[in-house]
Amino acid sequence: MSQIRTAALPALARVPGVAIVLVALLVGFSLAGPRFLTPANIANILMQSTVLILLALPMTLIIMTEGLDLSMGAVLTLASIALAMTVVATGSPALGFLAGLAVGLGFGLANGALVALIGIPPFIATLGTLGIAQGLALAVTDGQSVVGIPPSIERVYSGTLFAVPIPIIIGAAAYALGHLLLYHTRFGAAVFALGGNREALRLAGASDRAMLIVVYAVGGLMAGFAALLMTARMNSAHPTAGIGLEFDAIAAVAVGGTSFERGNGWLFGTLLGVVAVGVLRNGLNLLAVPSSAQVACIGALVILALFIDALRSRP
Amino acid sequence: MSQMAETRPRLALSRDVLQAFYRLLAAALLCAALALASDAFLTLGNILNVLRQTALLFLMASGLTLVILTAGLDLSVGANIGLSACLAASVIQATGSAGLGVATGIGCGALIGICNGALVAWLRIPSFIATYGMMWMLTGVTYYYMAGETIHGFPPSFRQFGSGYLLGVPIPVYVMVLFLGIGTLFAQRTIWGQQIYALGANPEATRLSGVPVERRLLLVYTFSGAMAGLASLIILARINSAQGDIGEELTLPAIAAVLIGGTSLFGGSGSVSGTLIGALILTLVLNGMNLLQINASWQPLATGLIILLAVGIDTITRRTAP
Amino acid sequence: MKTIVSLAALVVLAGQVLAGPALAANETIAVFTKNQTNPYFQAVRVGSETAAKSLGAKVIQYIPTKPDSIPEQLSQVEDVIVKKPDAILFIPVDYKALVPAVEKINAAGIPVTNITDRIAGGKLVAYVGADDYNIGLATARHLLKQMGGKGNVVILEGVKGSLTNTDRVRGFNDALKENSGVKLLASQPANYQRLNALQVMENLIQSFPQIDGVLAANDPMAVGALEALDGANRKALVVGINGSKEAVEMIKAGRLLASGDFNGFIQGCLGVEIAIRNLRKEQTPKEIILKPVVIEKSNFQAYEAPVEQRTCPKLSDMVTN
Repeated sequence: MSQIRTAALPALARVPGVAIVLVALLVGFSLAGPRFLTPANIANILMQSTVLILLALPMTLIIMTEGLDLSMGAVLTLASIALAMTVVATGSPALGFLAGLAVGLGFGLANGALVALIGIPPFIATLGTLGIAQGLALAVTDGQSVVGIPPSIERVYSGTLFAVPIPIIIGAAAYALGHLLLYHTRFGAAVFALGGNREALRLAGASDRAMLIVVYAVGGLMAGFAALLMTARMNSAHPTAGIGLEFDAIAAVAVGGTSFERGNGWLFGTLLGVVAVGVLRNGLNLLAVPSSAQVACIGALVILALFIDALRSRP
Repeated sequence: MSQMAETRPRLALSRDVLQAFYRLLAAALLCAALALASDAFLTLGNILNVLRQTALLFLMASGLTLVILTAGLDLSVGANIGLSACLAASVIQATGSAGLGVATGIGCGALIGICNGALVAWLRIPSFIATYGMMWMLTGVTYYYMAGETIHGFPPSFRQFGSGYLLGVPIPVYVMVLFLGIGTLFAQRTIWGQQIYALGANPEATRLSGVPVERRLLLVYTFSGAMAGLASLIILARINSAQGDIGEELTLPAIAAVLIGGTSLFGGSGSVSGTLIGALILTLVLNGMNLLQINASWQPLATGLIILLAVGIDTITRRTAP
Repeated sequence: MKTIVSLAALVVLAGQVLAGPALAANETIAVFTKNQTNPYFQAVRVGSETAAKSLGAKVIQYIPTKPDSIPEQLSQVEDVIVKKPDAILFIPVDYKALVPAVEKINAAGIPVTNITDRIAGGKLVAYVGADDYNIGLATARHLLKQMGGKGNVVILEGVKGSLTNTDRVRGFNDALKENSGVKLLASQPANYQRLNALQVMENLIQSFPQIDGVLAANDPMAVGALEALDGANRKALVVGINGSKEAVEMIKAGRLLASGDFNGFIQGCLGVEIAIRNLRKEQTPKEIILKPVVIEKSNFQAYEAPVEQRTCPKLSDMVTN
């Protein structure tokens, strides 16, 4: 058990990279303009980051098992379409929400089965399911947006609870849940083991294959959940809305310090990674930096964060 | 320990041959299915088209194969192609010289490869992030440079490179065969090649046995970058124009070609010839969808299913094989 | 006497509408386009800047870093609202999904003018656009006429789900319905991409020994199709849509038959001009639909100049159209 917890320590020592960059961005943008550090703008940044946070949290777990889920963006999109179409057809937001979750869970289980039971490398397995999810999204909607969604869904994104915007509450709850799951349950210990020490898991009697399937299933489920937020934000569902988000999620996880080998993982780092990119984009928009420069800055940020880490880990 | 590192590539060779056989079988089955489904498939014109399209995908993915053999990944392939193509196009248009254009394209690609290699080998940044970051930066530079415009119209001597024929066979196919030979010889028959396999399988042991790991990584990424530059020239020659987003959709198919070809993301096993078969399979899928006129909405679905099928069969047979 | 007075009143009124900038008030207009690589949007941006400069105002360009990204454009709108520009000129990445963004802009009290893709909701100062459906129809009709009303045709579609694609292809198909002597062999997607179109066209050439006409939903695809035909030593009449510089050159060279004019430059000009005049409390039209123009051998000269060198048409000229 202690062997697994100490695996978290090296990750902690790598905090500075993403944290340094985030703090530097916050300071820099605050100095550059008066409108950055206002409650409204900070709330914007957090709300804009919520969907990505919901994807990046389970992605952290998946990457810790030396895997990858490329289908998350497409599954998110398909789930949002399922949600929207169900709500429009039945008039019930609850049924729509369940439909989205079901789609997410279904694909998550499929991914898990392909990786754990058949043994297809995660990159290819999820690349395949990406195509399937994307294809279904296009086929079912014939490329058109789904509209006519009742306002109750939209309120999930625009509403507040005790003056806090609901998306921020959802994001915080998801993080808390993820933290609990990863660091305080046997499932979490299994996730660490799946990346670093599968033998230990088998010896302990747990089914490593079942655990792996659960990891991917959680990923799919979260994508289904995030679909609610995305649909609420657009007040519609579009077959190409979520494309590419999985790469942003993976980058956030890597920037946050979770490495692709040996089962190291740091959930808070992922959160910082997502927020750092959100802050960067927002700050650059406020400064009206030309778009081509924005594109280059995102790349520079990502490399810089890990460069700092690399410097720190050198003796 | 080092003995194991040396014998491993040779074992990998015979296992690769077996797997290549299964993969070739998959490609052959696909061909047979398409031949039955469409009259146009087995025509000379279509076969040459498929070969030429495969050549392009293969050239993009061949350097990438070596990167993945070292347990790395290069996500900047598409962005590399975009920038190299746009710079080469400018040079050709400004100077009228195809030769200078070719040098620019390959040079730019190689330079990008060197940057990737430096980030991964010396700055120790994980290849996923290093190349992801490079992808964004290169895209930003390309967008800025092209400023929403296109460059079009190249001299016929240059265009032959992509759309010309020699003895009835498209020129890109010759380039493909050339690099298939170079790549396979390098990987299987040179010490450097064997070191690259070893690097991917067991980096620490390889380093301890005296191999200059950083220099090999740099070599591998530079080669991958140069191949991307070469591929960008063929694309330019084919479509006779350059636009900022040329490379955008090319990275994932290139990676898919390598993986379908049997090279493992964990490094240490795979082959350049496998990538050729992977490229062929992907090209056959697109060709088939056009010939059979599969509706636009269903195309990503068909592609995803076939990828899963091809790799699934490969994985299962790999497990049951001796 | 009455006539003179009313004539005078008319002149004064006309003078107000036709007058140049009353005050160089240095307004800031935030302009939103879909991506950085499509020359069409570059033309819109150049048009917006040309018009703003001539009216003494300023534009700031907002383009998603990920091309055609809906969530990113939503975020950019939210960020820009914080900056409170004087007005917004908006091309939505998707005409339905970006409605909440326009509603947010309305709620913030910033006037918004919409061009190109007509947004499906929200309050607008005006809409300036060209009608994708009618451009597709007109361009296809031109091709079919040149084909003599008979032969075989293929369609190269753009991005599935994009409004421009849906309407243009619908225009193509309706023109085909008018001509019973023409047969549609295939309709395949090439995602508005050149290389894609080339490879798709190559494959189609293999399937069909006789193709007389190609309807491409945009210019890059039309050019890709031309390269494929050249490579296979086949000939066909090809039309595209966009009216891009490259297309004009190919029309001049006799390789491309025609291109539907989707004048981004003019839309950018007029959109900004309407936004600025609206801020200056001048009267502005609520809608301008540009007539579909098919650029071909007889009229391409007017389109040869690069957008940077063109001047904006006067709003008043367009309104009296």
